[in-house]
Amino acid sequence: MRISYEWLGEYVDTKGLSPVEAADFLTMSGTKIESVQVIDLSAIIVGRVLEQKDHPSSNKPLWIHQVEVGGGKVIQIIAGAPNAVAGTLVPVALPGTRVPSGTLVRDAKIAGQAGQGMLCSADELLLGEEREPRIMLLDRGEPGESLAKYIPPDAILEAEITPNRPDCLGHIGVARELGAAAGREFKANFMPPYIEGVQPPASELIDIAIEVPDLCSRFVAVPVTGLKVGPSPDWVQRRLRAAGVRPISNVVDATAYVMLEHAKPTHVFDAAKLAGKQLHVREARDGESLLCLDGQTRKVGPGMLVVADAKGPVAIGGIIGGEESGVSESTTDVVIESAGWNGVNIRATSRALGLRTEASLRHEKGLAPEMAMAAARRAAALVRDWAGGKVHADWVDVYPRPQEPVRIQLEPQKIDGLLGVRVPPDESQRILRDLDFQVRDDDGTWDVLPPVFRVDVELPEDVVEEVGRIYGITRIPATLPGSRHTSWNIAPAEDNHWMLREVLLGAGFDEVVTPALVSHRSLQRLGLAEGARTLFNPMSDEMDSMRTSLLPSLLSVARYNQNRISERVDVFELARVYRGSRADGLADEQIHLTALARVDSAADAGRRGFLRLKSAMDRLAQDLVAGTVRYLREAPHLYHPGRTASIVVGGKAIGVVGELHPSTLAVFDLDGRAVALDVDVEALIAARGDRKATELPRFPAIQRDIAVVVDMSVTAGELHRAIKESAGNSLESVRAFDEYRGDQAGEGRKSIAFTLTFRSPERTLTDAEVERVMSDVRKRLEKKHGARFRS
Amino acid sequence: MSEATRLRDTALAAIAQARDGAELEAIEVEYLGRRDGKISRQLLSGIAQLDPSQRATLGQEANEAKRAVEAALAARRAEHEAARLADIGETEEIDITFPAPELKRGHAHVVSQVRRELEVIFARIGYTVEEGPEIESDWYNFEALNLPKGHASRDVQETFFLDADEEIVLRTHTSPVQIRAMQRIGTPPIYIIAPGRVYRRDNLDATHLPYFMQLEGLAVDEGLTVGDLKGTLMYMVQSLFGRERKVRMRPHHFGYTEPSYEFDTMCGRCMGKGCRSCGGQGWLETGGCGMVHPQVLRNGGIDPDRYSGYAWGFGIERMALLKYDIEDLRLFYENDLRFNRQF
Repeated sequence: MRISYEWLGEYVDTKGLSPVEAADFLTMSGTKIESVQVIDLSAIIVGRVLEQKDHPSSNKPLWIHQVEVGGGKVIQIIAGAPNAVAGTLVPVALPGTRVPSGTLVRDAKIAGQAGQGMLCSADELLLGEEREPRIMLLDRGEPGESLAKYIPPDAILEAEITPNRPDCLGHIGVARELGAAAGREFKANFMPPYIEGVQPPASELIDIAIEVPDLCSRFVAVPVTGLKVGPSPDWVQRRLRAAGVRPISNVVDATAYVMLEHAKPTHVFDAAKLAGKQLHVREARDGESLLCLDGQTRKVGPGMLVVADAKGPVAIGGIIGGEESGVSESTTDVVIESAGWNGVNIRATSRALGLRTEASLRHEKGLAPEMAMAAARRAAALVRDWAGGKVHADWVDVYPRPQEPVRIQLEPQKIDGLLGVRVPPDESQRILRDLDFQVRDDDGTWDVLPPVFRVDVELPEDVVEEVGRIYGITRIPATLPGSRHTSWNIAPAEDNHWMLREVLLGAGFDEVVTPALVSHRSLQRLGLAEGARTLFNPMSDEMDSMRTSLLPSLLSVARYNQNRISERVDVFELARVYRGSRADGLADEQIHLTALARVDSAADAGRRGFLRLKSAMDRLAQDLVAGTVRYLREAPHLYHPGRTASIVVGGKAIGVVGELHPSTLAVFDLDGRAVALDVDVEALIAARGDRKATELPRFPAIQRDIAVVVDMSVTAGELHRAIKESAGNSLESVRAFDEYRGDQAGEGRKSIAFTLTFRSPERTLTDAEVERVMSDVRKRLEKKHGARFRS
Repeated sequence: MSEATRLRDTALAAIAQARDGAELEAIEVEYLGRRDGKISRQLLSGIAQLDPSQRATLGQEANEAKRAVEAALAARRAEHEAARLADIGETEEIDITFPAPELKRGHAHVVSQVRRELEVIFARIGYTVEEGPEIESDWYNFEALNLPKGHASRDVQETFFLDADEEIVLRTHTSPVQIRAMQRIGTPPIYIIAPGRVYRRDNLDATHLPYFMQLEGLAVDEGLTVGDLKGTLMYMVQSLFGRERKVRMRPHHFGYTEPSYEFDTMCGRCMGKGCRSCGGQGWLETGGCGMVHPQVLRNGGIDPDRYSGYAWGFGIERMALLKYDIEDLRLFYENDLRFNRQF
């Protein structure tokens, strides 16, 4: 909302208070001022155009003016607009002047012609917006006089008004706030004076029928006859422009002015254009439409409210008027409408029509119906004053749902208790009265009556907020809560998720955080769309589904970085995936830890990459004390069928580790190969165990290496098991450390090397004892797996 | 001169002459060797034949000689060791300017890091972490927070819906976790934070993201005040950015808090004076906060006549942006590893 500081000064004493100071008071009391633009015209002077000629040589349309600027001095000024003809009075900025829009004026030569200043447009002076180049024309003044003599200095405050305060979408509301916050006198009244009016009474000229009292709580109709449409006074036009509204005519400007004053939109019908003297407020019917004031025809229908005459809609209630019944130059008799609309309905209609107007954005916030009468009185007075005409007596005021007065019982201790500071009761009361609240101390309990325009105030807490924001948040001391609790939530220091991250970080993986919104089409292409939750109102088909796997996101990251960095891309993410629909409509949200590593092109790189991720997985389980991890050969979708395993922890499959299928990489246009690890984090954490120290061994260990040559189809896991089964109690551990496939192993054969560690808890083992066990082991391997041994 | 003294002197002379450890070793074996040392064995070979008084004298002399030789050996060895170490600065020199290979360790994402910092900062004053679903019901996301359907206050949060009835949403803020936490924990004291992803129908640009991470905080206890909220926010901002960074609260409006405030962090470049990066304001908008609305407490199953609460929320990316002078929000989700590895 644009606030003219000059205009604001009509309702609150701003003497000696700069716009910037006022902005600070407003911001710190809840009306955030985003910017302050000061309009100081004292350096701009009045000039009289003596002569205007076309520029002789410029390609662009330019005009050369001889301008009298006081003291008999005449200067030459070049301008890009044609309207400053000889005899007009214009605003002139001499070289060295900075105009309010920020431009610094200099001497300039344009296409061979010297210019000595600038003729200003309304835009440059921040006095309004023009659609085409146009010099602002003045209606009075003598050459050389400062423009400030005729146009008072102003400042434009851009305010953010919160949705609970539609009463501040007008200057009076903001002035009241400033008065209370800055301790300045507030000079306006919510309710303008009663207007006597002439005969015949309004009811003989207009009749209102509200068919939807829940959606239109009130309709005030004021006939004004015998007026003359013309331009509104200069100062009115100036204020409207300052607030960002283009002046149209005295009657229309009156409604805009009232809206910018009282925050309540009104509408004016040309009485002569209405069919019949009765207006209905009703739901629109199927097939109805209206040519609106902005020149567009809109279809309206059930759910939307219209004001209709005998022939059909003449306005979309509370949003926009109809073109045909609107005020024109020939209008002499009007009906002023000021009505109370249901905010939720206005908002729904406005959204359905895709139309937001100054009226709809105020009405949709649910204005108090009591504001309707205030605005009607003000509008009638302004139309009468600016356009002449007679206001008729006994206004039509259909008010089927009168606004309920609100009364709040407040224990004044609640103010101190909630704010955390001692506010003297008389200061609280003064604050509330400055905001037009009434307060009565009823034996220690306060009886608080909010002003009728404050429909947002209903609870004691709301009243405390009012006191708090004017009292000043900076005066409330900062404290931390502390009390003698007798119960508490326990908070173990372990952070499982961070522990998992640490393992991957330590293994050299970079963490990424990627969007959970993905394209459903790409999920389908990857066969991951099953159970995917899709959006009903996506912004684009690139983001229309929630992801069911982190893998595509990581592959996209790998692709994005492929040409950007030369080093290896090893990344992981710990985030949710979303699948399925539960009875309550929510999804099953699982946290996954997924890692992706590019591998080089060496022959055994895939195997090494796989083992690297397997190491990471083993360490994840180890850090969580989740027991031994088992890997079972598996060929899940998207993975290499011969190089992938499912991960089993505590008897439960919790994830997959393996090389990705080359065709998966192809979808992402990725070169080479890649391996991935994908773990269900909650399932892994569920297997978490307690860590217990074990006693250190007291006797030395004996180690033996053995190279086992077997057929290709025999796995290290099978050999491992056979060793364990045949080695007896003294075997402490066994570990495969090398695999060899080549000539020395023989055709179709491979060699796997194991280290066996033997130890007794009671004594030092002898070589002979160990040799006996090794012999058993060899026999078992030979018998069960056809093994031979290399030395 | 006794035999023992003579042997001792010969040994000491040899020790003084010895050039290295090996020679000392040989001398030690020659004189003190267990099997055939001149002092340790040969000297005493005839001791059994001597009479007791001579026996004692010889034993004592032999012992003294042995100790003297041992001491001389130790001293000489120490000298040799010192001489050996004296010039290793030259003989074993390396080029310390040679660049070290990079330690192979990954970088945690900057948003994760800031989130973790916040979790630790709040854990220190007794807050625990709560979570809630991102695919959320309209009731938890809006209704329970005093944001009824069709109300103008919903406008500021453009919502992604998952169904035509607009009953299931992608949560637009972490505030629904407030309700879930109150319901789960039941009886105050409740001191929780809820970090997590949220979604809004905003176009992606340098200052807007359709998805981001928010951190919600909620305290419900007896006698909590706006002053406590203010202290908590100052504790947080100063723990994150340093003691000199101030927090400014401005009255604002949210349906689920009463009173409501927005809070700003003092601009770190100009320290409140106003500069380009804060748009001349001196302050950077950070988040929203307020005292929990009594109806919201009731919706969470808490008696508002007995307890009061405060809550706050802000974007974690925004905190990261303030902390590290990051200019463009899109960088957080682009995952250009050259960016990720800066943190």
